Amino acid sequence: MTGRRPAWIHPDFRLIEGEGLFGWPELAGLAVPTGGVVQADRPSRVLAALAAAEAAGQGLLLARGAADPDGWQPGQGFSVTLESSGTTGAPKRLCHDFDRLRGRLRGVAEEGARWLLTYDPGAFAGLQVMLTAAAAGSLLIALPGAVSGGGGIAGLAAAARRHAVTHVSGTPSFWRAFLMALGEAELPLRAVTLGGEAADQPLLDRLAERFPGARLRHIYASTEAGALFAVADGRAGFPAAWLDEAPDGLALRIADGVLEVRSPRAAPGIADAEGWLTTGDLVERQDDRVLFVGRLDGLVNVGGVKVSPEAVERRLLAVGGVADAAVSAVPSPITGHLLTATIVPAPDVDVEVLRAALRTATTDLPPAARPRALTFAHHIPLSAAGKKSRKGAA
Amino acid sequence: MTNHPAPIFALIAEELGRIAADKGEVLPPLTADSRFLDGGLPIDSLDLATLLVVLEQRTGQDPFREGFRQFTTVGELAALYTVPA
Repeated sequence: MTGRRPAWIHPDFRLIEGEGLFGWPELAGLAVPTGGVVQADRPSRVLAALAAAEAAGQGLLLARGAADPDGWQPGQGFSVTLESSGTTGAPKRLCHDFDRLRGRLRGVAEEGARWLLTYDPGAFAGLQVMLTAAAAGSLLIALPGAVSGGGGIAGLAAAARRHAVTHVSGTPSFWRAFLMALGEAELPLRAVTLGGEAADQPLLDRLAERFPGARLRHIYASTEAGALFAVADGRAGFPAAWLDEAPDGLALRIADGVLEVRSPRAAPGIADAEGWLTTGDLVERQDDRVLFVGRLDGLVNVGGVKVSPEAVERRLLAVGGVADAAVSAVPSPITGHLLTATIVPAPDVDVEVLRAALRTATTDLPPAARPRALTFAHHIPLSAAGKKSRKGAA
Repeated sequence: MTNHPAPIFALIAEELGRIAADKGEVLPPLTADSRFLDGGLPIDSLDLATLLVVLEQRTGQDPFREGFRQFTTVGELAALYTVPA
């Protein structure tokens, strides 16, 4: 591949990926698959593929393993297509202009910054962290295979200590688990950033107390609208004054309880004629604050992964021996939410056999989408409206 | 060893063992000083979240209702639950 260093990779940028150390020369030496599709499981591979696609003036798909990339067309010119981490069905793909992806990034070098990558390198947020570190000439620490909130948390905490990271961006679920895995260990954090799901006040307070020397920010972004704004006052939600005047060239409004935005960084072709775009996020105004209260589409965040209780419930209902099933999202102090299921077995069904069948029916779902804490009951309680009550899911 | 109310400790051990077994893992012997997420136990944050839901189902108590309370070890978690006399 090309040996010319892209302008968006600072010459001082270094990546530590597991035991490997990469600068631009090492990245340039990596083999990059032809056809514009790369498995986005390692930051080194993603950065090398981005550089190659830019040099070739070709589109790039950052595949995340779930879907068959056959039939994907790279289109004209350099662009980056990201896959959402959908829990059921095919992942959504969204094509971004590379410069727009980098729109909010500030290429200002911060002396001695050492970033920890807690996001999937193929995810929008992961790419933002990688491009930020690359542009600033920082050190980026990554663990192949470690995903936020998952089993890799002990490894991420160990890497954070070993490399004395100064900048960490992660989901609220990542931070809750990270605080536990870190215990009392000292960490010279200068920047603590939250994104990917709504940050709650108790967590913001704990982070401020645990890392008093760090800048604490929570970021609001969506795959469709791009990075929108950062809130730096340590309080959940955002100032209600932003409905009149929003930062960074944005406009914000609430329509039927849903937040709508007008953003110069939105992906092209998705807004209405006046530029307004719905976020699908339900919000509530409380005094001088606008708070996030859930999703319009019923999706809930489990450890940073958006899952659909309804879709999982439909799966359980299709299992032989199930007379009725209800999947609920219950609040969790560790993962934000957790899916639980109540099952009504058909008559004369062996409950242990059914338990195994239910597990088999959900093994291909991401761990966050599998219902936990199954309980068996004689009936499903219904709400006054005759619907299954799905408490916790806004 | 820190002090822990024995019944809730046994309940945590039982449910954690079941969660590990569901994944085909075997839980090492638990002590009050066993740490949940430092890699010593074969559980991740989803498993820990599951444990808290099951403990609420079995004890009727949710120590986190009023906000998060810091715990790192099994003994610290056990101390958050009050044991019926």
